[in-house]
Amino acid sequence: MEILNHLAFGFGVAFSLENLAYCFAGVALGTLIGVLPGVGPLVTIAMLFPITFHLPAVPAIIMLAGIFYGAQYGGSTTSILVNLPGETASAVTCIDGYQMARQGRAGPALATAALASFFAGCVGTLLIALAGPTLGEWALKFGSAEYTSLMLMALVASAVMTQGDAVKGLAMVVLGLLVGVVGVDVNSGMARYSFGVPELVDGIGFTVVAVGLFAVAEIVVNLETREPREVYAGKLTGLMPTARDLKDAAWPTVRGTAVGACFGVLPGAGPALSSFATYMLEKKIAKDPSRFGRGAIEGVAAPEAANNAAAQTAFIPMLTLGIPATATMALMLAALTLQGIATGPQVMLDKPDLFWGLIASMWIGNLMLVILNLPLVGVWVRLLTVPYRWLFPSIILFCSIGNYSVSNNPFDVYMVAVIGVLGYVLVKLECEPAPLLLGYVLGPLLEENLRRALLIARGDPTVFFTRPISLAFMIATLLILVVMIAPGARRSRQLK
Amino acid sequence: MKPGLWNNRDFLAGLLFVVLGGLAVALARGYPIGSTMRMGPGYFPTVLGGILLLFGVYVLLRGVRSGDEVKGEWGYRPLALISLSIVMFGFLLDRVGMVPAIVATLFAAAAAGREFRFKEVLLLAVVLTAFSVAVFSYGLKLPYPLLGGY
Amino acid sequence: MQNPSIARLLVLALVLGAAHTALAQAPYPVKPIRFIVGFPPGGSNDIVARTLAPALSEGLGKQVVVENRGGANTAIATELVAHAAPDGYTILMNAPGHVTNPSLIKLNFDPIRDFAFITRIGEAANLLVVHPSFPPRSVKELIAFSKLRPGDVNFGSSGIGTSVHLSAELFQYMTGVKWVHVAYKGGGPGLVALLSGEVSLYFGNLPTVIRQVRAGKLRALAVSGLKRAPAAPDIPTVAESGVPGYETATWWGLSAPAKTPPAILARLHKEAIRAVNAPDVRQRLEGVGADIIGNTPEQYAAFIRNEIDKWAKVIKAAGIKGE
Repeated sequence: MEILNHLAFGFGVAFSLENLAYCFAGVALGTLIGVLPGVGPLVTIAMLFPITFHLPAVPAIIMLAGIFYGAQYGGSTTSILVNLPGETASAVTCIDGYQMARQGRAGPALATAALASFFAGCVGTLLIALAGPTLGEWALKFGSAEYTSLMLMALVASAVMTQGDAVKGLAMVVLGLLVGVVGVDVNSGMARYSFGVPELVDGIGFTVVAVGLFAVAEIVVNLETREPREVYAGKLTGLMPTARDLKDAAWPTVRGTAVGACFGVLPGAGPALSSFATYMLEKKIAKDPSRFGRGAIEGVAAPEAANNAAAQTAFIPMLTLGIPATATMALMLAALTLQGIATGPQVMLDKPDLFWGLIASMWIGNLMLVILNLPLVGVWVRLLTVPYRWLFPSIILFCSIGNYSVSNNPFDVYMVAVIGVLGYVLVKLECEPAPLLLGYVLGPLLEENLRRALLIARGDPTVFFTRPISLAFMIATLLILVVMIAPGARRSRQLK
Repeated sequence: MKPGLWNNRDFLAGLLFVVLGGLAVALARGYPIGSTMRMGPGYFPTVLGGILLLFGVYVLLRGVRSGDEVKGEWGYRPLALISLSIVMFGFLLDRVGMVPAIVATLFAAAAAGREFRFKEVLLLAVVLTAFSVAVFSYGLKLPYPLLGGY
Repeated sequence: MQNPSIARLLVLALVLGAAHTALAQAPYPVKPIRFIVGFPPGGSNDIVARTLAPALSEGLGKQVVVENRGGANTAIATELVAHAAPDGYTILMNAPGHVTNPSLIKLNFDPIRDFAFITRIGEAANLLVVHPSFPPRSVKELIAFSKLRPGDVNFGSSGIGTSVHLSAELFQYMTGVKWVHVAYKGGGPGLVALLSGEVSLYFGNLPTVIRQVRAGKLRALAVSGLKRAPAAPDIPTVAESGVPGYETATWWGLSAPAKTPPAILARLHKEAIRAVNAPDVRQRLEGVGADIIGNTPEQYAAFIRNEIDKWAKVIKAAGIKGE
């Protein structure tokens, strides 16, 4: 098979000492910045940009790519340990991962995250190799109508996200949608809810919202009582997942990988949405959904697999179409362009050493990451035994520095405090933050694409039903609605 | 109004939603609404605000009926101190540099805890400052002033 | 004996006075320089800045550090520099937002008087591309086609107020055709929309888009600059295809707060020109489609003034409102 030849060639390229070294440097650095909230691959790659001038193209892109997907590995660490999302896509891992840590199961959670990520990374890389251009072309079929119906489906499914009170959960989704409205409206250029403050014109950043709602609120809750409250109550049972854990996590990992791989290719959808989507899916099909939110290992495995798969397939539009779907990809594309390499439909033929070498090194990088992260589990778990009075000021500090580094603007830091207060109030009033975050992610995408689809169709709403992919999502939405309402109606009849 | 209402969980939650939803609708009145098929910038926020307001009324009334209380006490002091420590960081970094900002934030945050042992906090401040400077300024080469503002 | 402390004070005063004078003519620079960029990392603006910074650092002898202060289409960064200390340690990377924002949003600074313009680094033309299924094959055919179908042709952009958007607005302003604007969040999504056929035409960033043209996925009609682009000499300009005088481009420039001392400004200008013309920098910038300019402060300032007026007219005619 020709593919095997290509891969063999790629491994040959990737296994050079130089490329291995740069791969390791990239993934190690990526893991570190993934752990730190706020500081992300974008800032880091921007910093390293001038260094790539002096490197040949292949090691440069290997290192930059390593930083990118390595960050997804590190991002789950603080999510699990202290309810602090290190990367945007790791926010979902907080929900069950942190609860596992509180029950003394931080070790299994971290290890499962690493293993699930490894599986997803390998599959994702394989997909790029086997079906890169095909997936890229498929992504092109997604127009505004398709995005709209997809977001609508996700919105309807979001009712699944709520643990407890359904009405308050839905209200939180709506509130999240409203928070997402803040900023410039893409379709009209009008700044909404910005109160004349320039920093709000671009909206409230995801890092600000996630850190404030999750980490800061959680810390205040832990400090509110006068008697000491044991934050990490469970006895440390062990560092590695049990056989039962692995069995439970297996299929969610596979499903998460599938979802993540599909979403990752879509420009604009991204790893965050894929981790939410797979979480909702797992919760919906689980035999006992009430376990979610209380430390269900599926709630860690699936999102982690999803965001890693998405991190790999995110390279497809950049490599095979030459389109940078996100700013980080744009930087990498620029790094390549400055080296004189034009990615695009021809890159596989013109520069096979780059393409296949990168693919092979991504697989090697994923292996390095799991080798790097698994031993670290012990170190991280040890961190949790530190007295809370030392731990929480450190968390607050990293939240502040991290958020400042996103735009180098103190305003973002002030907003963290504001959202933190709001988050605390919401938690006290038993309104869950996760649905809010989902609404915040979905809202702008839904509105933007809905209005754009209607604009292009000149106000004709049948466009959502005449295009095949969009129709498929609309039917799925309807099905989800029916499934949700029907058992509910049955249950309320039984209660009577 | 019963004094117990201010400790009524759903009443407060509903009230919050009503206020936020109402604000959303009120502020969106300045944005053109357009029609359903040609939505203006004001359409979505108005609809959302309205829905939130309705949810809020429902939760509020439900709370009055059920009377469920907010569990535990409100942590005003930790909330204020934690918020202050975060705000201080943002305020101080540009003006007096990263090192004083880190120290100030740590002390303020630590004060929100149940116990405050000065020597411990000082040690923590030294360690974390060193770590942060190493990672952020030297490692990641982020261009923040260490001492003294811009 | 005279009062020794008065004598000592006098000596101290003399010494301090001498030192102050010496410091006023102190060597520049003595500490790192902040190079403020108005976009988050990843955009062409940021890339040009990061390509230029090492060369500038070399020439100036102190590190020139890129600082991203994205937001409000460069307005946040621009305001920061307008109010920064005019000591030569804060410089700004200008972008077209500088000349379009005055007509779109309320600013807390004066876009002309608050700045000392150093040089226009370069510019890159946009490429007018269409989806292969779109019938017109030249600008003339495009104008004719569009005139028959007012309000029927969709063009994409990377956002309201961007150079991609405004290039199309200028075209409509100068030719009288009426297109429908479909805005996307950034160049990536915009390009994807064009490739999938959701919009028919797009004034795209040349280096990114030319790849698709060469691969046959898009058809190029014209370039938006006054002269043909070196990277695509076979493609005519819009101006020579039936819209004389049409010219837009993405450009990059260097400026500093208005009251920066002239000596420092001259030094910055000298180093900027040197950096921009350094062979490796030149090669890299041209690789991203930039045409190096490197003109004088007076020329740059005049350019800014003209552009502000030009876009004020276009934006008003198109009825675009920012806030």
